[in-house]
Amino acid sequence: MRQNPTARKNGIVMQEMPDEVLIYDLDTNKAHCLNETSALVWKACDGSNTVGDISRLCGDQMGAKVPEELVWLAIDQLSKNNLLEEKMVLPVNGQSRRDVIKKIGLASVIALPLVASLTAPSSAMAAATCVGRACTTDAACGTACECNTTNSMCQ
Amino acid sequence: MSKIVHQIFIKVYGVKICIETNKKAFLTELKNEISRIFPVKFEFINAQITIHKFYFEVSEDEKYKMFKNEESIGQMSKSEALVVFESDLRLTVAEFAVSKVFLHAGVVAWKGEAIVMPANSFKGKTSLVAQLVKKGALYYSDEYAVLNKDGFVEPFPKPLSLRGIVNEYAQVDYSVESLGGRKGKKKLPVGMILLMEFSPNLTTKKWKPKLLSPGQGVMEILPHTISIRNDAKLALNVLNKIASRAIIAKSKRGEAKEFVDLLINFFENNVKLN
Repeated sequence: MRQNPTARKNGIVMQEMPDEVLIYDLDTNKAHCLNETSALVWKACDGSNTVGDISRLCGDQMGAKVPEELVWLAIDQLSKNNLLEEKMVLPVNGQSRRDVIKKIGLASVIALPLVASLTAPSSAMAAATCVGRACTTDAACGTACECNTTNSMCQ
Repeated sequence: MSKIVHQIFIKVYGVKICIETNKKAFLTELKNEISRIFPVKFEFINAQITIHKFYFEVSEDEKYKMFKNEESIGQMSKSEALVVFESDLRLTVAEFAVSKVFLHAGVVAWKGEAIVMPANSFKGKTSLVAQLVKKGALYYSDEYAVLNKDGFVEPFPKPLSLRGIVNEYAQVDYSVESLGGRKGKKKLPVGMILLMEFSPNLTTKKWKPKLLSPGQGVMEILPHTISIRNDAKLALNVLNKIASRAIIAKSKRGEAKEFVDLLINFFENNVKLN
């Protein structure tokens, strides 16, 4: 029997913004930005709501019909980004994901769910103040760069 | 036989650091560098156990072997050692500062609001900061935006490190006063976050940057957030505060000298000034 989707609570830091949610995965150092649609779906994933329930809840909040396929698209992205307690797979029923998106996109006034992700850099990579520094050895470039022997500059 | 070690301890932004060397004269040089490295309040403290430690082993033939937290960085000349020490010491503080979030960014203030410009090295941060300062903006930093837990930016007015004077790569330090500018002294709210990259052949007559939502903005700032892995909770909380309040603009730009008036004009027309 398929389980209802449950939003992950452990090992993450969450920040709510006016129409978006930011989630930082402490295990993988990945940051995710959920747009309004995916954020609403994620918040409704409490383990007791079915996909149908989530569809209705999101529809109530957005003041427009939210098709179940759209909820599934959001769940699919949340699952792929490890933001659900258990993995869930989009039931495509012979359709490609592109077909589903096209179908929903044409029929819905709601923005398609989107989860933008990136891996946070280490502190040295974030600063990278070594770039362009004169060097004769890699050591002179510290931990984030190496010495380009052609121009004797850290890169 | 145990090695002879000369050491000092400093505390900056709540981060306690031990600096050691086997050569007493070199410790004096390192100590003299501290006030230049940290243009903010710091203190020398009594000896104690610290998590962060820099050690320089100086050989008789003047080779400097550097260690950071017992890990070997490598052997280098004295001038290289001083440069690596400066950037790694700042980086350590930027990563572990207590209740502060450091962004790799240039910062100026215009009419009581900060303009924060996160960017990688070689993207024209300092030249844009220098041009803004020449136009009357108050100088906060060309390297780090220091944000407190309420999302206000604090001054970190190190000398401006400009490239293109000796050659394309080498940096030459200038005091803000030598550029005809002034340092900012008060903590300020962030009015604008500018995500941009210098594009040498771009001539900008009108400037229409892409405006980002707060969430999109945080995702763009995050790669420049030094402490994100060390304290993601504080970092995200502070980034949320600044991104929810500020205008977040993204675009390419041409020469800083030509672009600076467009930027000021945009800022004055779009940011609510107090």
